[in-house]
Amino acid sequence: MFKSVLIANRGEIALRIMRTCQRLGIRSIAVFTDADVAAPHVGQADVAVHIDSYLDVEEIIRAAQSAGAEAIHPGYGFLSERSALARAVESAGLVLIGPSADVMDLMGRKDAAREVAEQAGVPVVPRGDDAGFPVLVKAAAGGGGKGMRVVRAEAELDDAVAAAKREAAAAFGDDTILVEKLVEHGRHIEVQVFGDHHGNVIHLFERDCSAQRRHQKVIEEAPAPGIDAEVRHKITTAAVDLARAVNYTNAGTVEFLLDVETGEFYFLEMNTRLQVEHPVTEAICGNIDLVEQQLRVAAGLPLDVVQDDLWIHGHAMEARVYAEDAFNGFLPQAGTATFVSWPAAARVDHALESGQTVSTAYDPMLGKIIVHGHDREDARAKLIAALDDTSIFGLTTNVGFLRALAATDTFGDATVETAWLDTADIQPPSIDQARAIAAWAEVRSEVEHYQGPWRADSWRLSGPPAPARVMLDQIVPVDRHRGTADGFAIRELAVEGDRLVLSVDGERVLAVAQVAPYSVEVVVHGQRFVFRRPDGAQHEVEASGSIVAPMPGSVVDVRVASGDVVEAGQVLGTVEAMKMEHALTAPFDGIVTQVGAVAGAQVALGDLLFTVEEADQSDE
Amino acid sequence: MIVSQLLTVVNMLCYLRRVKQLVDDLRSKLETARQGGSEKARAAHRARGKMMPRERIDALLDPGSPFLELSPLAATGMYDDAVPSAGIITGIGRVEGRLCMVVANDATVKGGTYYPITVKKHLRAQTIAHQNHLPCIYLVDSGGAFLPMQDEVFPDREHFGRIFFNQANMSADGIPQIAAVMGSCTAGGAYVPAMSDESVIVKEQGTIFLGGPPLVKAATGEVVTAEELGGGEVHARQSGVVDHLADDDEHALQILRSIVDMLPPSGQPEAGEVGQPLIDTATIGDVIPDDPRQPYDVREVIRRLVDNSRLHEFKRLYGETLVCGFARIQGHEVAILANNGVLFGESAVKGAHFVELANQRGIPLLFLQNITGFMIGRDYENRGIAKDGAKLVTAVATSVVPKLTVVIGGSFGAGNYGMCGRAYDPRFLWAWPNARTAVMGGEQAASVLATVRRDAIEAKGGTFSAEEEEALKAPIRDQFEEQTSAYYSTARLWDDGIIDPADTRRILGMALQVVTTPAATPPTPRFGVFRM
Repeated sequence: MFKSVLIANRGEIALRIMRTCQRLGIRSIAVFTDADVAAPHVGQADVAVHIDSYLDVEEIIRAAQSAGAEAIHPGYGFLSERSALARAVESAGLVLIGPSADVMDLMGRKDAAREVAEQAGVPVVPRGDDAGFPVLVKAAAGGGGKGMRVVRAEAELDDAVAAAKREAAAAFGDDTILVEKLVEHGRHIEVQVFGDHHGNVIHLFERDCSAQRRHQKVIEEAPAPGIDAEVRHKITTAAVDLARAVNYTNAGTVEFLLDVETGEFYFLEMNTRLQVEHPVTEAICGNIDLVEQQLRVAAGLPLDVVQDDLWIHGHAMEARVYAEDAFNGFLPQAGTATFVSWPAAARVDHALESGQTVSTAYDPMLGKIIVHGHDREDARAKLIAALDDTSIFGLTTNVGFLRALAATDTFGDATVETAWLDTADIQPPSIDQARAIAAWAEVRSEVEHYQGPWRADSWRLSGPPAPARVMLDQIVPVDRHRGTADGFAIRELAVEGDRLVLSVDGERVLAVAQVAPYSVEVVVHGQRFVFRRPDGAQHEVEASGSIVAPMPGSVVDVRVASGDVVEAGQVLGTVEAMKMEHALTAPFDGIVTQVGAVAGAQVALGDLLFTVEEADQSDE
Repeated sequence: MIVSQLLTVVNMLCYLRRVKQLVDDLRSKLETARQGGSEKARAAHRARGKMMPRERIDALLDPGSPFLELSPLAATGMYDDAVPSAGIITGIGRVEGRLCMVVANDATVKGGTYYPITVKKHLRAQTIAHQNHLPCIYLVDSGGAFLPMQDEVFPDREHFGRIFFNQANMSADGIPQIAAVMGSCTAGGAYVPAMSDESVIVKEQGTIFLGGPPLVKAATGEVVTAEELGGGEVHARQSGVVDHLADDDEHALQILRSIVDMLPPSGQPEAGEVGQPLIDTATIGDVIPDDPRQPYDVREVIRRLVDNSRLHEFKRLYGETLVCGFARIQGHEVAILANNGVLFGESAVKGAHFVELANQRGIPLLFLQNITGFMIGRDYENRGIAKDGAKLVTAVATSVVPKLTVVIGGSFGAGNYGMCGRAYDPRFLWAWPNARTAVMGGEQAASVLATVRRDAIEAKGGTFSAEEEEALKAPIRDQFEEQTSAYYSTARLWDDGIIDPADTRRILGMALQVVTTPAATPPTPRFGVFRM
């Protein structure tokens, strides 16, 4: 076994690999860029070497040599599937923890991989005459949907192919067209395989990664639900056959598309690395450590499990936590995670701690929450509970989205298809409930802060305690005595610092709330809400379309004419007064309807210089 | 033995019933007063998008803040009971962590116009604010003086003009004056925002003008809408009479909170370590005997009021009818004077001594009044009870430490003076529902008047029959009975409110925190000439 390993990666996967190295007594060497000086993987490693880029092969080899590493683990992403790294590692006399460069090359090309699969007897998506109908007509060189069309009947095929050729030629300069069977209802099933240098190839069952958004996996699980023993046998055998056919060594994943209607499955591609979602496989295979197996295989040792040792233990799920605003166009989020609390009752592979800054420089994945249950429903309940128990402050994440997704009937019924999430309407956790909880928490913090006769118990000399009226983004009535907030019935079940376990309209809700002087930040059902009290004295200064001279002076510049379309903030003209130039800007998007300004003219205070009419908002 | 215990239990139940009845009666009167104006007036108020005055206060105050409302039963039984709470709500609450005086007109009551008691209540709130250095927040929604009673509202020293006099002087003393115009603010009322340090107006709802549209039309013939004459847009953008323009009530309250938030720190004290009384303070009413003529030991009241039930009694063996002692209430030191019978010369001198001592130490005084008066009779007069009484009255009158008074029973005659009645400027004065205040008891007054009449008749050689005597005495007794009641007192603002005895400890704790604000620190003690 190796004595020291360089991990050419960052984030949770670097930490995850280090944990195994440390358990096995292997010295772990981290690499880090300027942006990652304070990243957790740097602190966890025995040695950390500065590099300029995680994508620079030469630099990584140099780092490994200087730190005395014997092997390099590439993790996933970055250089993990680059044969260039594999070759450079080999020629430097080091070992890459992964398959050979040749296999990477072979499997890295989709057409070649398809051929290998066909030769190995692994089903591939039928093409040409075998495809039947409906079919997908697409450019061989294509991507991004260009030149792609669905054809449902033979009569339409010729026209579609001709049209696709024209588009493909125009878009890619290559009019080669593929006609492929269209699987309208498909699920993403992948098989974990493992080969060593002693001729052993095994599989560790399959995973279902159908819950994906724009090809980004969101929740993965193992085993795939609703797969019977026969299909499981066929699909895992196919994967092993393929791996064997290419003399695959180390960890790999064979991806298939499962046709829900026919039960047929088709090879898609092979990933020549450890996958993000490998923990669900570990969980159902008796907590086998796949990284340990990787290290063993790379060190030339045989796998220490054989196929017959493996069977499926219960059910596992993994949810990927991203720094993105899932309910607002999935916009990437950056900022400082002021407070982070991961669930106690789940495996969490993460690289995010309280106070850490998240930038958009690297992958937005912050961590993974992995649960294991005795069956799928048990695992799902645990996943929901774990997501409820995840609180990330200061930064918006998709935890609330994951939680809502896990709770949908579609996910519960295991009828998720790969296309589902792109169009599914996942309802965000209730903002009204969150606001009520935030207001409750604010009153509670006042109760804790004030002691003595002026304690915050809403006491009234002239009658029963009055409900508190908490100013958040709106006034929220809270009646602690009756146990209501904004119409919700609230009861405190347990309170520990910022953590509130409440009964809200009879539902048990775990919330974490941080009360600041002008805002309350609350995480409920994984979703972060920030209720900010508006600045009281800040008036709603209504933007006026009439732009007047702000000072008496002279017009030095007129940049627009009547009828021009302008954007908010666009400079319309400039007035010089008291040795200062005042830019006159459009208050909103619109059309200039009148120009009173004349360059060089003297103007008095308040003279109307431009009129802008607001663009019709209803177009949006 | 068993019989006597049984009697005690029966008595206890009687007391409980009586006190409970008094408190229930108080609650029901408060409930009525809290309603404000007629249902129609309230519906119309809400239809304009306006919050009810108590809701405004609830939203202005910090979440969960208590509100020490003042004289909620003002004007009860006056003006045909048409002006609940005198049409104005005043009290102390916490805004952005700071105790403030809030004065809110109730426009559902006669358009928020000022009756004589309304003016008195407004001025009283200002006096408390001034004495205790509390920022004032005015929620203005008033049509100004109630014109049919203008002679009792407008001209005198303690009438309408005094409101603005107070604003100017409090501002001069560094006490913030803040106003939000949430409805009309006409004539004299216009000066409330104008005299404030910082002011807010609610758009299309608040108006400020010296003369409203009808008056303008009458005076100059000019036809103008209220909004054009003095609406929010006018005053925020053109006249500069106000500083902030709010969209609605909620927004105005938000702006007020923001104003208070940005004030420099007040140095208002936080309560110290608080020890609970050993006997539940809620049982304080149980001490009061059913029959007001029946004596009881006032220490039983004190034990239920003070921290750890600890009273460091001063001169326990001397002048025993006045209990004096040091204690803490909700963590604040306090020097207590409590009646335990009629005042004798010794009791009065002891009291004067104790008041001096409290002044020397800078400890606030608490008077628990239950006094029928000074002892009378030849023996006492000849020994100079008048000069001993004068000593106590002098000490109380010239004392510089904050004084608090609670009338827990009778408040009669010169006892009222010596025990810091309203005329002696206690910072706060509250009454229990059983309190009785008058120059003397009704029976005594009737007897005095009957004797005078009898002497006059008999001097002329006539006779004064028993029937005639009763005919004279009955209306006097009735008059005294009515006027002696706590409700008669509170209606006229002779106190700051009738309180549930069970709330006394809490309220005193609140008051002590208010009166011990460093900015309101008393000056060096000095007294008038004591007649020795």
